[in-house]
Amino acid sequence: MSESILKLQNATMQFGGVVALNDVSFEIKKQEILGLIGPNGAGKTTVFNVITGVYQVTKGDITFEGKSLKGRKRYKITRGGVARTFQNIRLWGDMTALENVITATDTHKRSGLISGLFGLPISRREEKRDKARAQELLDFIGIGEYADRLAKNLPYGVQRRLEIARALGTEPKLLLLDEPAAGFNPAEKVELAKTIRKIRDAGYTVLLIEHDMSLVMGVSDRVVVIDFGQKIADDLPAKVQNDKRVIEAYLGVPEDAS
Amino acid sequence: MFNLRDWGAGVWERSGRPVRVLIALGAIAAAASLPLLGGTFLNTPIADYGSVLVFPVAIFVIMALGLNIVIGKSGLLDLGYVAFFAIGAYTMGILGTKTGLNSWEILPIGIAMAMFAGLILGVPALRLRGDYLAIITLGFGEIVRITALNLNSIGGANGIVGIPTPPTIFGLEYTFDNHRLYFWTFLIIILLTIWMIRRLSVRRAGRAWESIRQDEDAAELMGVPTFRYKIWAFVLGASVGGAAGVLYASKTLFISPDNFTLQVSILILACVVFGGMGNIWGVVLGAIILGYLPDRIRFISDARLLVFGAVLVLMMNLRPDGLLPRKKREKALPEKGQS
Amino acid sequence: MLSNFQDQFASLTVGGLSLGFIYVLIALGYTMVYGVLRMINFANSEVFMYGTFATIIVIRDLFGFTQQSEPATGFRLVYILFLCLIASMLMSGILSIFLELVAYRRLRNRGSNKLAPLISAIGMSIVLAEFMRILTDSRYVGSPRVMEKKSLGTFFGAELRLDNVIIIVAGLILFVSLSQFVQRTRLGKAIRAVSMNEDAAKLMGVNLNFVVSGTFLVGGLMTGAAGFFYVLKYENTSFNIGFELGIAAFTAAILGGIGNIKGAFYGGIALGLLETYASFFLGTQWKAVTVFIVLVFVLYFRPNGVFGEAITQTRA
Ligand SMILES: Nc1ncnc2c1ncn2[C@@H]1O[C@H](COP(=O)(O)OP(=O)(O)OP(=O)(O)O)[C@@H](O)[C@H]1O
Ligand SMILES: [Mg+2]
Repeated sequence: MSESILKLQNATMQFGGVVALNDVSFEIKKQEILGLIGPNGAGKTTVFNVITGVYQVTKGDITFEGKSLKGRKRYKITRGGVARTFQNIRLWGDMTALENVITATDTHKRSGLISGLFGLPISRREEKRDKARAQELLDFIGIGEYADRLAKNLPYGVQRRLEIARALGTEPKLLLLDEPAAGFNPAEKVELAKTIRKIRDAGYTVLLIEHDMSLVMGVSDRVVVIDFGQKIADDLPAKVQNDKRVIEAYLGVPEDAS
Repeated sequence: MFNLRDWGAGVWERSGRPVRVLIALGAIAAAASLPLLGGTFLNTPIADYGSVLVFPVAIFVIMALGLNIVIGKSGLLDLGYVAFFAIGAYTMGILGTKTGLNSWEILPIGIAMAMFAGLILGVPALRLRGDYLAIITLGFGEIVRITALNLNSIGGANGIVGIPTPPTIFGLEYTFDNHRLYFWTFLIIILLTIWMIRRLSVRRAGRAWESIRQDEDAAELMGVPTFRYKIWAFVLGASVGGAAGVLYASKTLFISPDNFTLQVSILILACVVFGGMGNIWGVVLGAIILGYLPDRIRFISDARLLVFGAVLVLMMNLRPDGLLPRKKREKALPEKGQS
Repeated sequence: MLSNFQDQFASLTVGGLSLGFIYVLIALGYTMVYGVLRMINFANSEVFMYGTFATIIVIRDLFGFTQQSEPATGFRLVYILFLCLIASMLMSGILSIFLELVAYRRLRNRGSNKLAPLISAIGMSIVLAEFMRILTDSRYVGSPRVMEKKSLGTFFGAELRLDNVIIIVAGLILFVSLSQFVQRTRLGKAIRAVSMNEDAAKLMGVNLNFVVSGTFLVGGLMTGAAGFFYVLKYENTSFNIGFELGIAAFTAAILGGIGNIKGAFYGGIALGLLETYASFFLGTQWKAVTVFIVLVFVLYFRPNGVFGEAITQTRA
């Protein structure tokens, strides 16, 4: 429970003149749900982007299970056990929900192009196994009935959940969720909180970006707050809520505005 | 609206294995009997129908299938596909006239050469996105042609003459005007290509390409080794183009740089898009129509390319996804072929 | 050879610059459309080709020049050249708008298949080129000489031929006017807004169809001017020149970073010079190859062009 899985060490990310992350350090412990909050444009998504290799940090380092992620290819980071969802949904719209998840499970297949071409038994076996696994994941997230629908035709809420199922398809150790409840109504949010806990209980570690305070505070074990690219708090939810700097950062924004 | 593609796919999915085998055999038999269909109506003004069927039609079908792997499956815009065709043809031309090797021995060499060229071009080019790839490949096509044009050791502007016909097999002789034999040979290559693409499309490779086509960043971040799969698509496409080149040279027995202009790349691209990108049957249909049409309408002689261009514009405006678009159905069972 | 090159370097540079300005103007046609629609306007090469014919028509049919005529001089010459420029620009500008209406608009509004507009553009390109081929009987069309290409003297050893000087000066004026237009006018600002963020621009009440037409018009005008310069410099044209020049200009646009007006300028000039120097050493038959090899290198090491936006990475 206390061993750390991912560490940001003085991570700095600069885009030309914009400093999106400024010397940010924090760590995530195994099987933890860590909330990451901050006002709009604070740099939360950028944290995800530097962890998953979309951008390379300008300074500092990021280590996953003790090994630096610097310079590692994006797909290798994912294979190593980090998967994410996207704030602006990026499913493969012309594939079915099930195909979306199976494509993610392909990450760990040993069979590839050649064994597929000749229909080798290993390819068949893996295909069968992963199809079952993908269906299982859809059921786990509670959208099993949509398996055969094209992703682009799914209702918005289902799409958001499919993003999670797809990320789980890569069998990650660490799951990064970028505003998974955006656009949800209160009932859906409660449902999602349950799902997130369920995911953690299934053995995953979760890093959660969320604007809805009651959701984050309710579900997280610990919360990191960033503002203007800087970490301003890192503590238990109850403590963070009363932190002076955090309140200042959110001043003018009612506490549970989403 | 009645959708031929969905109807066809529906029949296919509802059928059991024996029926499917029957359908497939029937289709192959129908294709194989095409050259037997005589009739002066089908003759085009300049050439006998049988010959048009071999070139351009069959060659176009092969090339369009190959280009479809690149564009239709993985969404990589290749405007220099003719380069691989040229490399195959020149491999046949050079080896055929300078060594004792015959067409069937040269075929794998030509394919390998084209694949190698695909690799050389793909490694730098596939790091770039969309339109940049288009222009690099376009440039590559031109470089290959200009090089052939200016290297006198491979014939320069005069090209290569006296390329040998394939050797006789089973007592069947490939004479210059034995169009039927050529057609059947090419048909076998077409079927092999279709088999290959269908096998690849259903499993991991097909999904990887599909995900790359739809959202490459998301694919990469979901663990798809996008670069590797793009290279594969490119090299496989090149191999088919190379094969088409070897066959083409074995049929026309004479090649020159003029046969490998950018227009060829564009025509093949048009076949793919016109027929329905990403859908094998659409692509085949597109290649048949666009291969046959310009020759058939030679009676309007001078204006035939003009009409062809106008058809492209009209078609794209009325049916941007082609004659037989890729699947749009909700119900798609992943273990079945979705071409 | 090298000392020969040193001798001729200055003159080659002047020739390369004037070719460069022709590329700059055509490249603007590609780059502006790309900036707004993120699409290669494949038929821009034909827009250019029609521009060259407009100039020849004015010279030959309006002013009745023949191969035997005496070149014009003085004020009459300025007047004729000016009319040619206007005619070429108008021809290309109008053709460009027409092109967008026929080949792109419907597809754009549908927003379907990404490649459909490109194929449609290729179709239009074939139609336009073939139409001209039939009209001209597949022949080269020479332009009667309206202007004697006399030397205006030398500058650091460079021979300043009149046509090259006109192209460089007028090209520069056109480019600067275009930049000012884009910076200052309402349409120009709208064009910039759309190319930065289409959705936001729409929200702000920009009439997209109008802006797109405007972009095609302006791009066409510039491309047409290039057509005039081309005839001035080479004194002939044909139905198939669009292809070669179009590819080169597009390369120039990419070299500088496509979608970027300044990029078109630097890319065009760089390419014009490079091509001229390279043909000196390797002979003209290899010049296209040199150009493409340079392009591959540039894209490999600086995938964004020299001035362009990031294209290998997108935001996730
Ligand atoms: N690729 C980029 N280029 C330039 N600036 C960027 C880039 N990506 C992010 N930024 C900037 O970095 C800052 C942080 O952005 P980020 O998307 O991480 O914010 P966020 O906390 O996720 O905000 P939100 O709650 O709105 O999602 C912003 O000012 C943004 O404009
Ligand atoms: Mg964000």
